[in-house]
Amino acid sequence: MGLLAVKGLTKYFGGLRAVNNLSFEVQPGEILGLIGPNGAGKTTVFNLIAGFIHPTRGEILLDGENIAGMKPYAVTRKGIARTFQIVKPFRKLSVLENVTLAAFLRFPLRGEAESKARQVLEKMGLGSKISALAVDLTLSEQKRLEIARALATQPKLLLLDEPMGGLNATEIEQASILVRDICKEGVTIIWVEHVLRAIMNSSNRVVVINQGEKIADAPPEQIVENPDVIAAYLGTKKR
Amino acid sequence: MKKIVIALAILLLFTAPLIVTAPFFVHLMIMVLMWTVLGASWNILGGFTGQVSFGHATFLGAGAYTTMILYLKLGIAPWYGIPIGGLVAALTALPIGFICFRLRGPYFALSTLAVAEIIRLVALNWESLTNGPVGLLITTLPDVTFGERLIDWESKIPFYYIIAIITLGSIVATHIMSRTRLGAYSLAIREDIDSAEAIGINTVQARVAALSLSAFFAGVAGGFYAMYLRYVDPDAVFSIALSVEMVFIAVVGGLTTVAGPLIGAIILVVFGEIFREIFLVHFKLVGHLIFYGLMMMIVIRYLPEGIWGRLRFRFGSKH
Amino acid sequence: METFVQSLVSGILTGSLYAMIGVGLTVIFGVMRIINMAHGDMVMFGMYGAFISITFLKIDPFLSIVIWIPIAFLIGVFIYRFLLKNIVPAGELNTLLYTAGLSLFIANLVLLIATGDYRTIKLKYAIMPLRPFGIAVPIPLAIAFGMAILITVALYWLLVRTDTGRAIRATSQEPEAAALMGVNVDRTTIITFALGTALACAAGVLLAPSLYLYPTVGEILVAKCFVIVVLGGLGSVPGAIAGGLLLGVVESLGAVYISVPYKDAIGFVIFLLVLLFRPSGLFGVGKS
Repeated sequence: MGLLAVKGLTKYFGGLRAVNNLSFEVQPGEILGLIGPNGAGKTTVFNLIAGFIHPTRGEILLDGENIAGMKPYAVTRKGIARTFQIVKPFRKLSVLENVTLAAFLRFPLRGEAESKARQVLEKMGLGSKISALAVDLTLSEQKRLEIARALATQPKLLLLDEPMGGLNATEIEQASILVRDICKEGVTIIWVEHVLRAIMNSSNRVVVINQGEKIADAPPEQIVENPDVIAAYLGTKKR
Repeated sequence: MKKIVIALAILLLFTAPLIVTAPFFVHLMIMVLMWTVLGASWNILGGFTGQVSFGHATFLGAGAYTTMILYLKLGIAPWYGIPIGGLVAALTALPIGFICFRLRGPYFALSTLAVAEIIRLVALNWESLTNGPVGLLITTLPDVTFGERLIDWESKIPFYYIIAIITLGSIVATHIMSRTRLGAYSLAIREDIDSAEAIGINTVQARVAALSLSAFFAGVAGGFYAMYLRYVDPDAVFSIALSVEMVFIAVVGGLTTVAGPLIGAIILVVFGEIFREIFLVHFKLVGHLIFYGLMMMIVIRYLPEGIWGRLRFRFGSKH
Repeated sequence: METFVQSLVSGILTGSLYAMIGVGLTVIFGVMRIINMAHGDMVMFGMYGAFISITFLKIDPFLSIVIWIPIAFLIGVFIYRFLLKNIVPAGELNTLLYTAGLSLFIANLVLLIATGDYRTIKLKYAIMPLRPFGIAVPIPLAIAFGMAILITVALYWLLVRTDTGRAIRATSQEPEAAALMGVNVDRTTIITFALGTALACAAGVLLAPSLYLYPTVGEILVAKCFVIVVLGGLGSVPGAIAGGLLLGVVESLGAVYISVPYKDAIGFVIFLLVLLFRPSGLFGVGKS
C-alpha cells in the first residue's frame, strides 16, 4: 500500500480542471520526484496533499487513513510536512524561533522545543545563524530554514516544493546531498523540481505530470527515454 | 536595572493620586488607565496575532451592560459584576471568532465592524433587557468598607485604585502571554498564517483564544466604565468611534509592546482633553476626533510601528 | 399587495443611488485592491455640496451636479496623489487603517464647520409625490433615479468604449499584463480613484433632497457600501449595481415586513453571510 497513496485525485477550480484522476504511491524511505512542464499541476498536488486546498474527488491515504479534506495543521500533525516554493519564513522572528515554533508540535515545553530546534538547525548547517532574523538570511539559508522548520515537526513524509529554485550550481549540489541525508534519517520525500539533473540523480522513482494527469511513473533512467515525457517537455534539454 | 524601573513604575502607579490630588487630574489619570487597558486588550489580538479588529467596542459594551444589569436588576455589586462582565465578553468572543476568523486581513476587520453594528442595533432595540436608547443609570453604589472606613464613592480615589489594579492585571497578562506557547503561536500567525498552519498550528483555535483573552480585558474595562461613569447606552458603548479609538491607541502607541498602549492612551486622553477645551464652542465636542484621524494618518505614513515602537527601536530595549 | 409594490418601488429608487455609491467603491477596489473607508464621506461631501448650492448659490441641487462632479474628481486626484499613493505599498491593512483615519478626520472637520444639526433640502416643486398607478413616488427620488441611470449609462460608455475605460478594466483584471501592454498603470489608478470619488459625490448630490444631512452619515453609508460591493462581487460593476438595488429593496421590504429599527441590521447580517459562504459575491464574479 505504501506510506502515501493518492487515488483518483481530481481538482476543479470552477471550470478549470487542474488535476485529473491522478493516482500514485510512495513507499516508505523513498525519494519520489514529481516533475512536469510549467502549469502541469505539481504545486496543486502538493497543496491538495498538505490540506491547503481540498480535492473535488479522490482520496489521499496516509498509512491507509484518508486525509483528504483535512485542514493543513491536522495534516501536519498526522505526519506530513511541506515547504513552499517561494519561501515563507516568519520574517521578523529569529531563526531559532522559527524552528522552535515548529518543534512545539511534538515538544510542548519551550526548553525541549528549543533543544530540538537547535539540533535540527545544526544538521541543516544553520547552527551559526540561530540568532539572526529570518529576513536577514541569504536565499540558500532561507531555503534550509524552511526545510529545518518542516523537519522539526518530525514528519513521516516531507513535501519539498522546488527547493533548488534560485540556487547556484554549488548550492544545488549541497542541497542534493542534504535531501539524500534527510531521507537516510528515515523521512520519505516527495520532491517537485525543475532542476532536472538534481532530481534525476537523487530520486528512486519519478512521476511525470502534464496538464494535471500522470503520464509516466518509473525510475529516472526509464523516464528520460520515455517518448511521452520528451514530448511533454518538448525542447527542454537535460541540464 | 529593568526590575528597578518596573518597581518604580508600580510605586508611581499606586501613589500618583496622593501626589496629584486635584480631582480633574485624577479623572484624567483614571481615563488614561482605562484606555490603557483597552489598548492593551486590543493589542492582545492586534499586536500579537496581527488581526485588526474594528469591532472591539462589542466586548467593552458586553462588559458594561453585564455589570450594569447585574447590579441594577439583581443587586450584584459591581466589583463582582466587573470580572463577570469580562467573562461574558470572553464568551461572546467565541462565536464571533469562529465566524469572523474565516476571513483575513481587511475582510476580517470589516466583519468585526458588521458584528459590532449588529450588536449595537440589537442593544438599541431589545428594550426589555437594555432599556434601549434611554440607557441604564446607576444612582448609588453599595456601601462597602475597606479596612475600617466606608468607601466614599463621591471621591475619585477609590475608582483610581480599582482601575490601577485592572491596568496592572492587563499588563501582567500581556507579559505572561508573550511567554507562553499561545503568544509564540500568535506571533507566527501574524508573520505568516499559512506557514503557521503548515507547522501544525491550529490557527483558528489560537486566534479565538487570543480574541477571548482580549475580549476579557475589554469587558472588564467596560464594567469599570459602567461603574465609574454610572451610565451606559448603546451609542456610547457599542459605537464604531469607540472601536476606532482602540485601534488608534494601539496603532499610535505601538503594537506588541507593553508600554505602547500606555503611550497611546496618554496621547488619546491628553490631546482629547486639550482639543475638547479648544473646540468647546460647538455643542458636539469633536475636535479631538479630528486630531485622532489626522494623527492616525501621520503615524501610519511615517511611524508604522507606532510612537513607542519607534522610540524603543532607537533605544534598543525590548519593551 | 399594494404595500409590497410600493415598498419594492421605493427600494429600487433608493437602491439605484446605493448602486452608484457601490460602483464607485468597487471600481476603486478593482484597480487598486484597497478598501476606502473614506468613501462614505465623499457621499457626504456631495450632500453638503447640494445643500450649499441651494442655500447659498441659489442653484437647484440637481443642476449643481455639473459643478460638483468635476470638483470631486479633482479632490479624488488630490487625495490619491498626495495621500494614498504612499500608503498603498504598505499593504491592505495599513491602507484600511489610513483611510479610517482620513474618514474620521474629514467627517469631524465637517462636523466642526457645519455643526451636527440635521439639515434638509426642501424643493418647491417636490412637495407632492407623483402617483403613477397609485404608487407614491417622491419627485426628488424620481429625478435622482433618472439621473443615476444617465450617469450609469455614461459610465458604461466610458468603460466599454473609450481607451481610458478599457485601460481601467485591463488594470482591474491583470495589472502586470496591462502594464506590459502599454497601459499607464499609475495614470489609470489616479483616474479610477478620482472617478470612484466623483461617483460617490454625485450620488450624494442626488440623494441630498431625499435624506437628512449630517456630517457622520458617511459612517453608515460606507458600511452599507461594503455590503453592496461584497454582495455583488468585489470589483464587478454590474455586480455593484445589482447589489445596490438588492440592498435597497431588502431594506425597504425589511422595514415594512420585519421592523424599522432592525432594517439596518439586515444588511449587515447578509454581509456576514455572503463573506462567509460566497466571498466572490452572489453572482460569483468577485475577486477575493
